[in-house]
Amino acid sequence: MMTQHLAVPARRRTAPRGRRALRRNLIGWSFLAPAIALIGIFTITPFVQAILLSFQSWDGVSPDTPWVGLANYDFVASDPIFWASMRNVVFFGVVGFVAGNGVALGMALAVNSVTRGRTFFRTVFYLPGVLSVVVVGLLFSFILAPGSGILNRLLGMVGLGMLQQNWLGEPAVALPAVAAVFVWFHWGFGFLLFLAGLQDVPKELYEAAELDGANRWSKFRYITWPQLAPVTSIVSLLTLLAALQIFGTVQVLTNGGPGHHTMVPTLAIYNEAFVNWRYGSAAAMSVIFGGALVLLSVIQLAITRRRSRA
Amino acid sequence: MSRTTGRADEMSVASVPTSTAEGGTRPPRRGVRLDKVGLYGLLSVAALTALFPLLWLLSGSLQSLTELLSNERFLPADPQWHNYVTAWVQGELGIYLRNSVLYTGSAVIGILLVSSLAGYALARLDFAGKGVFTFVILAVMIIPAPAMFLAQYKLLISLNLTNNPVGYVLILITSGIPMSTLIMRSFFVSQPRALEEAAALDGAGPLRIFWNVILPLARPGMAAVAVIQGLGAWNEYLMALVLFEDNSLMPVQRGLTAFTSAETPQQQILLAATTISIVPVVIFYLMAQRHIVKGIGAGAIK
Repeated sequence: MMTQHLAVPARRRTAPRGRRALRRNLIGWSFLAPAIALIGIFTITPFVQAILLSFQSWDGVSPDTPWVGLANYDFVASDPIFWASMRNVVFFGVVGFVAGNGVALGMALAVNSVTRGRTFFRTVFYLPGVLSVVVVGLLFSFILAPGSGILNRLLGMVGLGMLQQNWLGEPAVALPAVAAVFVWFHWGFGFLLFLAGLQDVPKELYEAAELDGANRWSKFRYITWPQLAPVTSIVSLLTLLAALQIFGTVQVLTNGGPGHHTMVPTLAIYNEAFVNWRYGSAAAMSVIFGGALVLLSVIQLAITRRRSRA
Repeated sequence: MSRTTGRADEMSVASVPTSTAEGGTRPPRRGVRLDKVGLYGLLSVAALTALFPLLWLLSGSLQSLTELLSNERFLPADPQWHNYVTAWVQGELGIYLRNSVLYTGSAVIGILLVSSLAGYALARLDFAGKGVFTFVILAVMIIPAPAMFLAQYKLLISLNLTNNPVGYVLILITSGIPMSTLIMRSFFVSQPRALEEAAALDGAGPLRIFWNVILPLARPGMAAVAVIQGLGAWNEYLMALVLFEDNSLMPVQRGLTAFTSAETPQQQILLAATTISIVPVVIFYLMAQRHIVKGIGAGAIK
């Protein structure tokens, strides 16, 4: 909705000359100075340092960080845990994308078409989203516990005892279980944005379609869906990025286990550095994984931009 | 009125079969009513799914350990309010919550100051190189935390700012700046210029105009930034995990995991501690909901 403001200000570019120009530039940049200082020191410097560190060896303590060339990348390339984590996170990405966005859109459509209780449902649906990853992790580590967990007990109560599982301990079940927790935690975010998008669709479009005798499906297909497209692409990207960067929830819930069946890259990077004291190879992992995420964002933004131009 | 009910159709999966089955012989009202029942049913199931874990948390935090482990009943037979006292004392929640309030508050104030200055410059001031800065901000937003936290840790070591509130708050502020600057920028762009121009005619300098004229009017934009960044700072975990060693300095999220791993408290005590830790954020959410919804929209759509 506000995206158009972003494209470089459409004001005249006739730069004022001489001392007045200098003064203007000085004032402008001094307003930006705090932001530039902080971003320069705490974002751009570490970003460059992370890349440099991936070619160095560091134990986290000594001031000595010798260059080791590509050794860290060699090490990471043959690290089964890291690549297991990459595979797992693709699963999180797909589930978060499909299930998370599907539930979010479905519920936004549902809330948008009822008249009573909208505020109630909106409040409740986003409530999990204000919790922290730690709280969600702790909460579900109890709910999904094999013996005393409430989920297994509920399943037993309604006669679905055969579905009872050691949710977080069974290799085949743990990954989907953690992904389900992520969806529970995160779908409210997409829901809020979809709902706002739906409320921006001009009502006249539906009225005109009704006059033309359009049925429900074609109204959704030809009005709602295309009108929502900008929201859908933002929500998709943000949900996908959130799913791919999942860390705290997994650390608290399973710490990557059983085995490495729920290991995710951010946790693998953390462990490599702060548990194994191999900061160099951890940095190489973060360059590989971070680079993939940056690439994903850039591709998505490029597609969106081209589509909005077309 | 009829239009709103007619739009129940968008939930096509749930509603189409019922209405076509009903169609023809029966009057249309009945189909509409069934649609509604289905919709509310669906919404209630979703609401229950969202709420149930939290209700269970609340209930579990009031049970005794034997009651909790036996799982005989959902509601506590005899609410154990002293669980909360134990959790508060054993879990040192007073310290953690105080730290969280302090860090979140300082981070929000810092973000508001820095990003409204920068957002104002981008929206209103005319100077060379503005486009470059906008591009850098957008580029920085794309760099994900997993690519950075290691090097940020290394940097803070060399600045002697690990295990230090100042280092943590500076990281929180920096990570909030790009998005907040864009939100403030689009807020300023949408504001009328008349007051600033009048102040400029009166001979006020740019900083004075900013402080005395712009900031007081920027409250709605700042509220959106404050709630969304406040939530983010309160819930931050990765950097807190990496940076803090002393329990007395940890924010509440980090403190909770310290409590679980070091003390291995009894389950009902941990549930009570978790409940205490979410009370501030849930109250804040229920009070500032409108701003939060707006802030999330503004932040995501920029």
